[in-house]
Formats: sequence, C-alpha cells, structure tokens
Amino acid sequence: MKRFSPLLVPLGALAIWEAVSRLSRVSHELLPPPEKVAFRLWDGFAHGGMTGDLAASLLRELSGFVIGATGGVALGLLLGLSRPANRLLGPLFLGYRQVALFAWVPLLSMWFGGGEQGKVAFIALAAMAPAAVNTWRGTSTLPHSYIELSRVLMFRPLDYVRFVALPGALPAILTGLRSSLIAAWLATVGAELFLDVAPGLGGRMNEGRETFQMDLVLASVVLLGLLGLTFSRLAVAAEKSLLKRRAA
Amino acid sequence: MTLRAAAVLLGILLWAAPSRAEPLVIRLGYPGIGIDNRQFAGGSIVATAHSTHAVEQEFANEPDIKVEWTFFRGAGPALNESLAAGHLDFAAGLGDLPAIVGRANGLKTKWLLTDTVRVTIYLAVRPDSGIKRIEDLAGHKLSQFKGTNLQLAADRVLAAHGLSEKNARFVNLDFANAIAALSSGDVDGSFGSVELFSLQKRGVVSIVYGTKGDDPTFGRNSAVYVTEAFEQAHPDIVQRVVNAFVRAARYTADEKNRDAVFELWSKTGIPADSYREDFANETLANRLDPLIDEYVVARYKDQAQRVRDYGLLRKDVDVDGWADRRYLDKALADQHLEHFWSTYDAAGKKLTSGEVEATGTVTH
Amino acid sequence: MKIRQAGSRVVAGIAVPLLLLGAWSLTAREGWLPDQILPAPGVVMATLKEFIASGELQDATLISLERVAKGFAVGAVAGLIFGAAIGLSPRLNRLFGPTFLGLAQVPLLAWMPVMILLVGIDEALKVILIGIATFIPVVLNVAQGFRDVPPALREVGAVLLFDPWSMLMQIVLPAAVPSVFTGLREGLANAWQTVIAVELFASSEGLGYLMSWGRQLFQLDLVLAVVVVLAVIGFALNWGLARIEGRLGRWQLRPA
Repeated sequence: MKRFSPLLVPLGALAIWEAVSRLSRVSHELLPPPEKVAFRLWDGFAHGGMTGDLAASLLRELSGFVIGATGGVALGLLLGLSRPANRLLGPLFLGYRQVALFAWVPLLSMWFGGGEQGKVAFIALAAMAPAAVNTWRGTSTLPHSYIELSRVLMFRPLDYVRFVALPGALPAILTGLRSSLIAAWLATVGAELFLDVAPGLGGRMNEGRETFQMDLVLASVVLLGLLGLTFSRLAVAAEKSLLKRRAA
Repeated sequence: MTLRAAAVLLGILLWAAPSRAEPLVIRLGYPGIGIDNRQFAGGSIVATAHSTHAVEQEFANEPDIKVEWTFFRGAGPALNESLAAGHLDFAAGLGDLPAIVGRANGLKTKWLLTDTVRVTIYLAVRPDSGIKRIEDLAGHKLSQFKGTNLQLAADRVLAAHGLSEKNARFVNLDFANAIAALSSGDVDGSFGSVELFSLQKRGVVSIVYGTKGDDPTFGRNSAVYVTEAFEQAHPDIVQRVVNAFVRAARYTADEKNRDAVFELWSKTGIPADSYREDFANETLANRLDPLIDEYVVARYKDQAQRVRDYGLLRKDVDVDGWADRRYLDKALADQHLEHFWSTYDAAGKKLTSGEVEATGTVTH
Repeated sequence: MKIRQAGSRVVAGIAVPLLLLGAWSLTAREGWLPDQILPAPGVVMATLKEFIASGELQDATLISLERVAKGFAVGAVAGLIFGAAIGLSPRLNRLFGPTFLGLAQVPLLAWMPVMILLVGIDEALKVILIGIATFIPVVLNVAQGFRDVPPALREVGAVLLFDPWSMLMQIVLPAAVPSVFTGLREGLANAWQTVIAVELFASSEGLGYLMSWGRQLFQLDLVLAVVVVLAVIGFALNWGLARIEGRLGRWQLRPA
C-alpha cells in the first residue's frame, strides 16, 4: 500500500477533473474531460508524430542541461572557493540571475541562429543558474574546520577541491543539479516558443494553444510533467547512490 | 595559335572557376508558421510560391545556387532581427507594421512587390454573448495584442464604428490566451483572421463582423522585400526571384485555380474550407495582387503616419523611396501581365480593370 | 579598516561590470554587431532617461514590483510550509512529492489557459502564476534543507536527549537556514523572471510589458533599458535577503 501512496493525489485530482467535466457547465472546449485528453495522447503517438517531438525535445534538453549544468557547477565552485572570484564576479552573476531569459533571445539568435544551436544555448543558460547558485552556496558554507584541516595537512588547492570541497558540498550541488534539470526542461518549452519552428513537445503544446485545442495542450502538459518527473526520479536515484558512497 | 588561345582561356576559366563554384544561398524568410509547426504559409502569393517551389524551380538548373526558406515563429520582430543580423536576403510576406518599424529603425530594404492587400480581419465573440454587430461591443471588454498590425487595423475599424477607450475596455492578450479568455467570458470580443473560421465551426466563437464590404482602406497588407546589400550584389538573381513570385502570383490570382489554391494553402493545417469562407464574395485577385499601385502606397503612408501618431515610432519613414518597381515591371512585361491585375486609387476605388477579371467572377 | 574593506568590496564588485560596459561601448562604436541588435550604451541610457522623464518607467516598475511582492509572499509562505512538511515527514513526501515534482515540470505557458478559466485575466492571474514560480524552488530547497541535516548535528541532539520539538527548533531549523534562504532567493529570481513572462502575454502594464513592447517594435534599446532596471532591482532585493540571512545566521549552526 505504501508503494502506491504517491498515486493517491494524482488519482484524486483525476477524479475531481472527471467530476467537474461531467457536472459543471464548463465548455468541453475549454476544459476537456480526461478521456479526451487520454485519447489525444494515444492518437498523438499512433498517428501524430509525437514520438519524434518527444525525441527532439529530449535531445535538446539533455544537451542544454549537460552544457549548462557543467558550466554552472564550475562557476559555482569558482565563486564559492575563490575569494577574488567571489568579489569580482559575484555581484554580476547575481544581477544576471534576475534578468528574464527572454531578454537574451535576440542576442542568442544572432550568435547561434534560431535553430538547434540557439535553442540548446537558451536551455544551457537556463540550466546554468540553479546549478551555479547551489554549488556556490554549498562550497561557501563548508565548515571552517575543513579548510583549516586541509591547510594543516598541506593539501594542494586541487586536492582540496577534489577530496574535501566537492564531497562536502555534494548535497547542495546535487540539489542544484535537480533544480537545473527542471529549469532545463522548462526552458526547452520556452526555446521552442521563442525560437524557430522545429519538431518538439513545446511546439506541440503551442500548436494546441494557438488553435485552441485544449485537449492537445493538456495532453502535452501531461506528457511534459510525466517525462520531467521520470527524469527527476532518475536523478534522485543517482543522487542516492552517490551519497551512499560519500557516507561510507 | 588557337591551341595557345584555348590554353589561355582554359587557364582563365580555371582561375575564375573556384570563386564561382562557391554556392550562393538565397535566404528567404517568412514571418509566421502554420499550425502544428508546419513550415507552410497560406493566403498569399508568397504562400503559393513557397508551396509550389516556384523560386527553387527558377534556379533548378544551377547547382551553385541554393534556395533556403526560414519560417519565423516570432513573426515580424524575429524576422527583423534576422535581417539586422544579416542572416536573410529576402523578407517574403512581411506585414505592413513590422516592415515600417524595421525601416524606421534603419533596416535597408527595397520593396519589390506586394504580397497581399485588403486582407480581411474579423471580429469574433462568444456565440451566446448576444453581440450581433460590432457596435454592440460598447461597454464590453475587448482583447488586443498591442504592437501588432492586427491591433492597428482593428483600432481603425473600432474608431470608425464609434468605439474607443472611452466606451470599451481593452485588455492586452496574445491570440491563444485571447481565445481562452473569450471562452471563459473574461473578454467579450477579439479580432483575428482566417484561423477564426475553424473555431467558428467548432462552436467556440461566432464571427459577427468582417472588414470585407466595409471601407476599402481597412484590412491588412504585406509585401516582399530584399536587402539593399543583396540587391546591389546580385541584381540578376533578384530579377529571377521576382519573376518566380510573379509567376506564382499569376497562378494564384486566377479564378480557375480557386479550389486548387485553397487546397494548396491547407498545407498549413488551416482547412481549405476556412480559406473558402475567408474569400467568400471576393475574387482571389482582389487580395493576391503584386502591384505597387496608388492604393497600396497610400496604405503604407497612412500606416506609417498612424504608427507615429500612436507613439510607436519616434522617426519618420520614407515610403516613396522604398519601392523599386523595376524588377516587378520587367517581370510583368516579360510575362505579358502588365494589364492582368486591376489597379486602385488611394481611396480604394478602381482605376483600371485587369484581365484577371475575365478568369472568373466571384463564386462562393 | 571596515570602511576600507567595504570600499574594496564595492570596487571589486563593479570591476567586471565596468569592463563589460567598456566592451559593449567598443562593440557598438566599431559596429561589430548591428545596432538594431545591440544598441550603444549611450542610446540605452538616453532611452532610460526618456522613460524616467515621462514617468512610464516608474509606473511600470511599481506595478511589476507590486505583483512580485504579492506573488512572492504567497508562493514563499506556501512553499515554506509545504517544503518543511515534505522535508520532515517521509510519509507526506511519499504522498505529495512525486505529484509536486511532476507539476513542477509544467511550463508557465501551459498553466495560463487553465488559470484564466479559474481566476480570469486580472491581477489574481498574475499573482498566482508568480506564486507558482516562487513555490517550486522554495519547496525544493526547503525540503532538502530539512531532510539533509548533517548527521553530526543529529548525533549531538541525540546525545543531549532532545525531544522531537527541541530537535526541530534547536538543530534542524537552524541547520536548514542556508537552504531556506537559497530557496527564497531562487524563488525571488524566479518570481522576477515570471512577472516578465506573464506581462508578455497577458498584461498592458509593467516592466515585462515594456520589454515585450520594445521587442515588438524593434526597439532593443528599450529592451536593454528594462534589462538594466531589472538587474539593478533584482540585485537590490537579493542583497536585502542576504542581509536578513546574515542576521539570522548568527543563530545558525554549523558542525565545527
């Protein structure tokens, strides 16, 4: 029974949705019943080329995530471990963090074009920030005793990073990576909205929005949510196995 | 002697050849996409040209020349940015507002031919709202997406029918959210074009007004432009591209091809029937007219002035010096189409009748 | 001594931005990028002045700030409660965690039609959407903070025979403070980004609207002017949060 408790809330929501659909006067155009959405999902895969969209979006997201998260962790390490870097780049990064990604679209499409490269660049930018922030946090709040100890033991800076800082900051870094993954997924949809047209789940969702086919919108949303969730679960599992080694 | 001459000639050719072997890519951009991410357009000369591969066919026998189309999801603004970045040579089917804005901001283009004129815009309301005419909107809420040429066109229509900020509330929403808001009752009216017809069929909206039949200066327009840089470097290519567009225009304005054209446009994902309804009581040639005549020039001047008045632009736009009719005139002459299309004056009254009217009268 | 320290910090902080400004100026002057894509700093400055003079910038800023304040408050409070709940109780985590994670992956744009149906198109829509955007990172970080208390600290609590309540108040809560603040700061950054996105699609006022207006009308100087304002205000808000955290940090626990 325990295993299935995560399903309680979604199933409950599904039931409410079905009830609202049947009992209220809300137009089915605006809020399609669950069956319609399910059918649309099935139809999308069977006839609508949704598999292609899915693959395209996934590829973009993963590429962008890997690039952005790596860059973000590196930046976070720099900011957290190096006093001068912190002083010089910290405020700039914090300021940058506050600016909506939308503002960079013209520059991005100028440098990378509006095709795949531009989209991956957009996604990478989105993924970078959470990774950097959390890594920065994780490395800057390491207990002072760690630093002192490593000085006593005459660790070289690189060794310090490898053997002390990284493992110590690992939980924070991993949280950052999880946020980064989510940000990358959301940015994938954004990239497909703001940049050139190409196959993708985000594009599908937009198609639904623009032709007012709410069943398509909701089907894409369900798919996006499920996929994102799967990724996050995988990430958590990976995190657990990594942390096991750390505790050991 | 001849052998030496031949050798010299060969040498020159070989020396010149590498620079000619580099493929030239003709980059055309269209501001918009079809439904479902489809890279197709509809309702215009450019749409027909693209779908029938008119430009590609013109250069089919030249391996050194490639044709590349890009469809811009961000419509006018994104296309302008691409032009500014030097990533495009031709802007095909760019609407009046983004074109004017681009020119005012220093984009150097030449207006080669017109793509569409007198495109009808429609007012959509909820079927059960009780609004039957455009005047009934008084006291209601209307959605507009500010800064688009749809908004400017709609404002003219509203003003002409006595509606303004004083007796109607305006809400800024993009098209997709506008329809959702219309459905949920948060707004009472929204403007749009051909995409509204399938919504009407589904019972989501009712179309209660169209600019067709109203003042002939209402409606939207679009055109084909080339960058000055490309035009100076390759005038021969520009001529051939214009030739291709004019050929497509000839095909698409011919009433005999009416059904075929609607079917062609349905590649966008908008059904042929929607185009049929959009063009009801109207000849194809009424909209699909590549001429740069008094009417369309007056429309652009008018729009430029309006845009200034609205405060959307801080600079003036020179419309007169924009058009370069040479290519169009040559294409029309070569294809014997000088008198094919009718011409209109600034107020929209017909000046001359074109041969196209013999191809068929208005059908439903 | 302290003043000198503070002064050198400020200098270090603006060194790189000044460098970037210089690079920007140079790029504009040399024309490496077309000036419709990257207007010169002088042009952006002039646009800023123009919009401040007309009052439009202040109005837009206040409107956006108000929305962010309301949305952030709603999202942060809800996020703190929900995050603490699933962080502290494995059972609640199992019940709600996956659903939350799944919903967190749904983009803002997808929420809009549903929200329009539920709450209409007025302020409530924007506040709720901003709230959702705040909620997600707050929950993620707070939950992690409550869950990942260092074992050393827990041992201390066990040795001192703390009851669950003392454990919570004296060990877990203080140890979670850094994560809570990371979450709040991420939430604030998200809130700012979202107010822009929301104003793009469904509003006639605010900084996001100005930005969208600028892009629509090919006036990227306006877009950049808004970017500057956003960065400055966002930075200020962030700094404010950091100061608060610094104060609270006095009670923060760290393993020695």
